[in-house]
Amino acid sequence: MGFEYYVLIIGYIFGFYMAWNIGANDVANSMASAVGAKAITIRQAIFIAGILNIVGATFIGSHVTQTIRKGIVSTDILTDPHLALIGALSALLAAALWVSFATWKSLPVSTTHSIVGAMIGFGIMAGGFSVIKWGKLGAVVLSWLISPVFAMIIGFLMFKTIVRFILSRDDAFNQAFRLAPYFIGTAFFVVILSFLFKTPLGSSLAIGTPMALIIALILAIILGFVSVKLLRKFTHPGELTGEEEIFRKIQIGTSCYVALAQGANDVANAIGPLAVIYFLVKTGSVGAKVPVPLFLLFFGGIGIACGIAMAGHRVMDTIGRKITTLTNTRGFSVDFAAATTVLMASKMGLPVSTTHAAVGGVLGVGLARGMEAVNFRIIFQIIIYWILTVPAAALTSMVIFKILQLFL
Amino acid sequence: MRIPFISMFITSPFDGLQQHAEKVKECAWVFQKAIECVIMDRCEDFENFREDIHKMEQEADAIKRRIRGHLPKGTLLAVDKFELFRYLGEQDKVIDGVEDALDWLSFRSSSGIPEVVEKEFMLLVEAVMAPIEELSNMVVEARKYFSSFSENQRRLVKSMIRTLRAHEEEADKLEDAAKEKIFNTIEDSVTVFHLVRLAEIIGSIADHAENAGDMMRAMVAK
Repeated sequence: MGFEYYVLIIGYIFGFYMAWNIGANDVANSMASAVGAKAITIRQAIFIAGILNIVGATFIGSHVTQTIRKGIVSTDILTDPHLALIGALSALLAAALWVSFATWKSLPVSTTHSIVGAMIGFGIMAGGFSVIKWGKLGAVVLSWLISPVFAMIIGFLMFKTIVRFILSRDDAFNQAFRLAPYFIGTAFFVVILSFLFKTPLGSSLAIGTPMALIIALILAIILGFVSVKLLRKFTHPGELTGEEEIFRKIQIGTSCYVALAQGANDVANAIGPLAVIYFLVKTGSVGAKVPVPLFLLFFGGIGIACGIAMAGHRVMDTIGRKITTLTNTRGFSVDFAAATTVLMASKMGLPVSTTHAAVGGVLGVGLARGMEAVNFRIIFQIIIYWILTVPAAALTSMVIFKILQLFL
Repeated sequence: MRIPFISMFITSPFDGLQQHAEKVKECAWVFQKAIECVIMDRCEDFENFREDIHKMEQEADAIKRRIRGHLPKGTLLAVDKFELFRYLGEQDKVIDGVEDALDWLSFRSSSGIPEVVEKEFMLLVEAVMAPIEELSNMVVEARKYFSSFSENQRRLVKSMIRTLRAHEEEADKLEDAAKEKIFNTIEDSVTVFHLVRLAEIIGSIADHAENAGDMMRAMVAK
C-alpha cells in the first residue's frame, strides 16, 4: 500500500470530521427557527435534519466538484499530482483545524469560508500569488455579502406579505388557508428546480430551462394544493391561535426544506477536497473538475447526520430556551428566506453559508418589525469573522502544506 | 459553540416594559392607601408608605435603566426605539408624580388634608388610579398586537388609549373642582398653597398616563 492510500485514509477521516462539524454547528442554526418557534421538538429536529441532510447531500449535492472551489486558484498548480495531493490534504486539514478552533472559541465562522480560505493557502504555496484569481475571489467575496442581504430581503418581503394578507385580516385563519398553497407551492418550485438542474437524475432527463420551469411550476401547483388539502384535514379552527397553528404545520415542511438545502449545499465543503484526493489516488491525475462518486456524497451526508445526532442536541436546546419571541409566522419567513437563498445561490455556483442565510432571514423579519428585539450588528460581526476566517485558514493551510512537503 | 443565530436575539424590551408597568400599578395602590391614611387622621403609617413608594421608585428606575442599557445601537425592534423610550419615560413619570405627591404631603404632614376638601381629594385620587391601572393592561395588549399584528388587537389597544384619555379628562375636571373648593373654603393662604399644589401634582399623574397612551398610539400606528 503506497503513501497515497494513507493520504486517502487521512482524507476520509478529516472529510468526515468536516462533515461532522457542519452537522454539529451549522445545522443547529438552520433548524433554530423551527425549534425556537416550537414547530418541532429537538428530537424531531435532529431526526428531520439528519435524514434530510443525507438525502440532500446524496441526491441534490453536486456530483461534479470543481477541484479548487469556484476556480479561485488557477488549475495550473494541479499539473503535479504529488503536489496536488499534498495540497488537497493540507487544505482539508487546515479547514478542519480552523473549524475546531472556532468551535472551541465560539467564533461565528462558516465551514464554507474555511475551506475556501484553505484552498487559497494551498494555491499560494503551490504556485505563488500569481495563481490566485483575484477577480474570481472578489466575486466569491461579494456572494458572501450578498447571501445574508438576499435572505434578508426575502425574509422581509415574506413577513410583510404574511402581515398584509393574513395577520391583519379579520378572518386571518381562513385567509391563511387561502394563501397557504402559494407559500407551499413556491417552496416546492425552488426545490424541484434545483433538483432538475443540479442532480444527475435531473441532467439525465436532459430538460431545457424553459421546460424545467414549466414542469416545476405545474408540479409546484399540484403539490401546493395537495399539501393544503392535507393541512385542512389536520388543522381545525379553534386549535391554539388559528393562523399561527397553520404556520406551525407549514413550518414542519419548511424545516425539511432547509435541511434538504443545507445537505445539498454544505456537503461539498467536506467532500470537495476529499473527492480531489480520491480522484488523484485512483487515477493519478486531476483536471479542473472531478466527478464525485455517489458513495462519497453519502459518506458526507452520514458525517453531517452524525454531527447533528451527537452535538446538535445541546445547541438546539440552548436555542429553544433562548429564542422565545419567534412565532411560527416569523419562523416560516426565516426558513423560507434561508432555504431559497441557499438553493438559488448553489444553483448559481456561489459558495454561501446556510448559517449566514438564516441570520439574514431573521434580520429581514426584524426589519419588517416582526421581532421584539434583534441585534442587527451581528451582521458586522459575521463579516469581521468572515474576513478573519479566509486568511486564517489560508495561513494554516500554508503551514500544513510546508510540513507535509517535508515528510511526503 | 459558534451560534451567531442565538447572539442575534436579545432580551425583549417588552419584558421590562411590562415589569415597569406592573411596578407603576403597585405604586399606585400604595399611594391610594397612603392618601386614605392621611385623610383618616392620626395616620401613623404614612412614613412607611412613603418609604415603600421610594423603594419602588428606585426599583422602577432600575428597570428603566436596564431596558435602556440593553438595547445596543443597531437593535431592530417591533417599534421605534425612541418612541419606546419616550413611552417608558412617561410611564416612569407616573411613579415620579406619585412620589412627589407624597413628598409634598410630608412637608406639612401635621395638618394633612382638611376635612372640607377630603371628599374632593378622595375622588381625585380615585380618578388617577384608573388610568394607571389601564397602563399595565395596555402594555400587555400592545405586546399581543406586536406579536399577532391582528387588526382586532390593534383596535383594542386604540380603544384602551381612548379610555386613558377619557380618564385623564375626568381627573382634570376633579382637579379643577378640588382647586375651586380649596379657594372658596379655606382661608389660610399657606394651606391653600399646599393643597392647590398637591391637587396639581396628583392631577399631573393622570397627564403622564395620558402622554404614555399617546406614545403608545404612535407605536401602534401602521
